[in-house]
Amino acid sequence: MKRRIINITAMLAVLVGVSLSAQAQKGAVKMGLYYDYSMPIGSFKSDYISNGSPRGVGGEIMYNLSRQWGLGLNVAWQDYYQKYPRAIYSLDKNQDISAVVTNSVQSAPILIKTVFSPLGNDRRTMIQPYISAAAGLNLLTNSQYLGQFNSSDASARFMAQAGAGVQIPFSKLSNSAFFVGATYNYISYNKNGLNNFNTIDLQAGVRFPL
Amino acid sequence: MRKSMILPGLAALIMLIAASCTKDPLKDMTAEDSRIYITNYDSTANFGSYKTFSIADSVAVIDNGRATKEISVTDQAYLDAVKKYMQQQGYVLVNKSQSPDLGLNVNRIYRTSTGVVSYPDYWGYYGGYWDPYYWGYPGYGYYVPYSYAVYSVTEGAISVDMLDLKSAKTTNKISIIWTGTIRGSGILNASVADSQVKALFDQSPYIKAN
Repeated sequence: MKRRIINITAMLAVLVGVSLSAQAQKGAVKMGLYYDYSMPIGSFKSDYISNGSPRGVGGEIMYNLSRQWGLGLNVAWQDYYQKYPRAIYSLDKNQDISAVVTNSVQSAPILIKTVFSPLGNDRRTMIQPYISAAAGLNLLTNSQYLGQFNSSDASARFMAQAGAGVQIPFSKLSNSAFFVGATYNYISYNKNGLNNFNTIDLQAGVRFPL
Repeated sequence: MRKSMILPGLAALIMLIAASCTKDPLKDMTAEDSRIYITNYDSTANFGSYKTFSIADSVAVIDNGRATKEISVTDQAYLDAVKKYMQQQGYVLVNKSQSPDLGLNVNRIYRTSTGVVSYPDYWGYYGGYWDPYYWGYPGYGYYVPYSYAVYSVTEGAISVDMLDLKSAKTTNKISIIWTGTIRGSGILNASVADSQVKALFDQSPYIKAN
């Protein structure tokens, strides 16, 4: 019995040792910084803002659970804006308003994100594909201006994200890499006739070990 | 840098970029863009059935809950513009002693002590600004259709109200059958009065004498 306990303890020690060693080799924590171009879709595009937004940035801290899986936190920010020429809007059957309407939305998602790299960040491969999924909250500020008069709504909304892309290491020996990718973003929103603030985003940035 | 500082640092960096990149709608707006024109009308009124109109010879200035009658150069420009566009729509200007079918009042509304002029209050005190005696109907009350949309004014506005004097004798009340409100930058200026009143009439094509 005593011998059995010693054997099991030895095996666990070896497993923990191998695991820690593997993590050390993989670089446990990586940071990513990226530029984001966002394109509204659905009712967000058709009813509110059709312009793409070139004003977006993001960052992530990812912990490598294994060579293939990473888990971490993603924060970002995006500014959407569209100004419509003066037009007359019927607010009621007997009320009309003529105004230059400007829609302005600021989006700041805070997401728990997981990344799967099927090739396991193999340094011998220069192009490493990945897919990602994330969910969390989006801190949204939605303002609509009629002329200079605005009404604003700030709220935290559920957000889910699915993405894919490739990363390209700086060199064969480097743990740092460029990456380019795209994400589909579902952002729930139900106000003023809008169903959601869904977008497709294009991203380009760098990831490096901390 | 300590790892515990990385996440707040990343968030601060993104917020800094966000603050510098957000597009401010108010900085992307001319004085003309800043203005809004709101019109309400009584859907039961037959605007073609009225032939003549008269207009008050001064403007009610509603400021901090008090009303005075004034006639500045700007006020006169607004009165002249209202006369011009009513005549263009086929109505005949007559003296108020000649029993006009329609009466028109122009008002300047300023910020109140509470910061807001709400329109139910505005109409509630209408008899205080414009005593029905002025139009030859002492003791009558004003009537505003419930279907008029409610809105608040938090800073300067000009409003034009059209009164049904033709029906007053039979209904024992003076109905407000149309209101036009102008809000935004630079409206208290004689040089823009004509274009502001024109905008109200342009979005009210139903105001036309047969």
